[in-house]
Amino acid sequence: MIEIRDVHKSFDNLEVLKGIDLTVNNGEVVCLIGASGSGKSTLLLCINALEPIDSGRVIVDGTDVHAKDTDQDKLRRKLGIVFQQFNAFPHLTARQNVALAPRKVLKMSRADADILAEEYLVKVGLEDKFDTYPAQLSGGQQQRLAIARALAMKPDYLLLDEITSALDPELVGEVLDTLRMLAGEGLTMIAVTHEIPFAREVADRVAFFHEGKIHEVGLARELINNPQQPRTKEFLGKIL
Amino acid sequence: MDYSFTSNDFWLMVRGAGITFVLTIVSGFLGTLLGFIVGWARTAPSRIVYHLLGAYIDVIRSVPLLIQFVLFNSFMAIAGHPMDPFTSGLITLSIYISGYVSEVVKAGIESVPGVVRKAARGLGMTYLQDFFYIVIPIGMRSVFPAWTGLMLGLMKDTSLIAVLGATPPELLRASQIIINRIQEPLAILLGAGLFYFIMCYSITVMTSRYENSWQQKREVIR
Amino acid sequence: MFDYTFQWRVVWRHWPELLQSAALTLQITALSIVIGLAIALALAAFRDSRNPGLRYLAISWIALARNTPALLQIYMAYFGLGALGIHLSPYTSVLAAIAFNNAGYLAEILRGGFSSVPATQNLAARGLGLSTLQAYVYIILPQVVRTVFLPIVNQIIWAMLGTSLGMIIGLQELAGMTTFLQSQTFRPFEFYFVAACMYLVIAKIATGSAHLVSARMFRW
Repeated sequence: MIEIRDVHKSFDNLEVLKGIDLTVNNGEVVCLIGASGSGKSTLLLCINALEPIDSGRVIVDGTDVHAKDTDQDKLRRKLGIVFQQFNAFPHLTARQNVALAPRKVLKMSRADADILAEEYLVKVGLEDKFDTYPAQLSGGQQQRLAIARALAMKPDYLLLDEITSALDPELVGEVLDTLRMLAGEGLTMIAVTHEIPFAREVADRVAFFHEGKIHEVGLARELINNPQQPRTKEFLGKIL
Repeated sequence: MDYSFTSNDFWLMVRGAGITFVLTIVSGFLGTLLGFIVGWARTAPSRIVYHLLGAYIDVIRSVPLLIQFVLFNSFMAIAGHPMDPFTSGLITLSIYISGYVSEVVKAGIESVPGVVRKAARGLGMTYLQDFFYIVIPIGMRSVFPAWTGLMLGLMKDTSLIAVLGATPPELLRASQIIINRIQEPLAILLGAGLFYFIMCYSITVMTSRYENSWQQKREVIR
Repeated sequence: MFDYTFQWRVVWRHWPELLQSAALTLQITALSIVIGLAIALALAAFRDSRNPGLRYLAISWIALARNTPALLQIYMAYFGLGALGIHLSPYTSVLAAIAFNNAGYLAEILRGGFSSVPATQNLAARGLGLSTLQAYVYIILPQVVRTVFLPIVNQIIWAMLGTSLGMIIGLQELAGMTTFLQSQTFRPFEFYFVAACMYLVIAKIATGSAHLVSARMFRW
């Protein structure tokens, strides 16, 4: 379970997160929606300590992420993260991309890591791309590679930061299909996304962000079909 | 003999700075002209021209400038047209910098998106009209900082003309003459260094400000 | 027009000295690059340091190296330091000045290399649980090396050409030896032409092999 309690964060003089409270239970899929700059991506980075917080607490499975004595490298093995772009390590083949962390962090042998890597590449549909470099992959394939790479560490949670936003429209579907499959398998996911129809279909809950605060949160279908707050209605009205 | 820094020495250095300027501006102008033609020629379809000129540029960039100075000077002597060191140095500098300028010009021309040029031709403009009204304004503006960098490098390289014994002496040679006499190298070298530094640094800062504002304008267009 | 008989055999007779001086040129080049690179790594790190002293040291060094002529820097080492009681040989003066210059340019090349790696790469690496060191060595560094490889090779070529300035203070690297020999034999054109060819060949071999290595190492 991930608990986010009254988290505040500023960049220089700009307060980006103004007191976020959110709990994500095991097996849940939570989508974060809202306008750009409303703090959603920053929150994701605060969950796995890639960004420090100014106040509040982030607790993952009982461990305070930002406590001084927390081993953050170790904690990150539980939290996979995929970014909007520039995910793939360009100087490594797809297999090497996925096998790197299992080898260096989990201390797996090269042979074991390669087998593991191939397994996850097949899972995301890249079974014929083991020795291909990211430059030869389409955007959608690179994103799927990044998902496989994150999954190979067998994380308990997957954080997704607008992973389809930088893709050409025809490539978005294959990535969403992968997410749909993972959700069906019960993986806990927190996804920042602009794909509202996808959120309505796949997410359990949706949180709407506005100017650094969670303006409204609720069951996915309910919030999107029937938003209560005015700003939520306004935002969804523009998109749907 | 006066072993201290006299007012004559000061004016020698001032004149030296002036000579540095003159050398830079004249060879910069000639070199840019020649470099522009060569760079333009290299964007032509002819493979022969491309490689021939490419070889010429290659040689210029692979041989030390000092060697180019003395080689050109002795060549002209052999060919029966001995030149005074100043003129031969000027010509060598011009040819030297033209090699580098041509690469910059070529990059500038090639940086203009093909789409933009096709749009121009599609409107009925001739090749030359496209070149002068579209390619040059866009392409040359984008490589302006690089060209300025070359000119500043040229200014520093004028200090090598001393090897030919060119008179009147540019700044560094003037400094060396004074040092030989008064044995007080530090202050003089610092003075000369200050001149080069102020010239190069301030122009670099101005160009990067220009480049920033130009980049901002381009982003607006996009 | 050519009222002159070329005498190439004179040059050939002095071939051993020319080769030896070329070796000296390469030696100074190599040393100046190694020293310059080591300093440049520090300068690149200092340049973005929070310590203002280190930051201004780096900014000043880089600015001075790039905005003053190399010959002036050699004079400073050879004549200028002499006034302070430090007497460097022509060899050391040229080495110090070229290394000083290299450090300035290489620092900027390195900085450019580091900033060309998208920030996400480091985030993705750390996000997988890799330590700071692991992320740096396995992810960031290989990408930096690819970006800076050819610019560094260019700097090496520049350094080699720069050693020729040693001839002005009497150092007998290739240019200096050539000058000495032509003054003995009164065959300036032949000697300087051969010297030019030697520089050209060395430069072409260097860039040629650099491109081959680059194509193989950076296949991605």
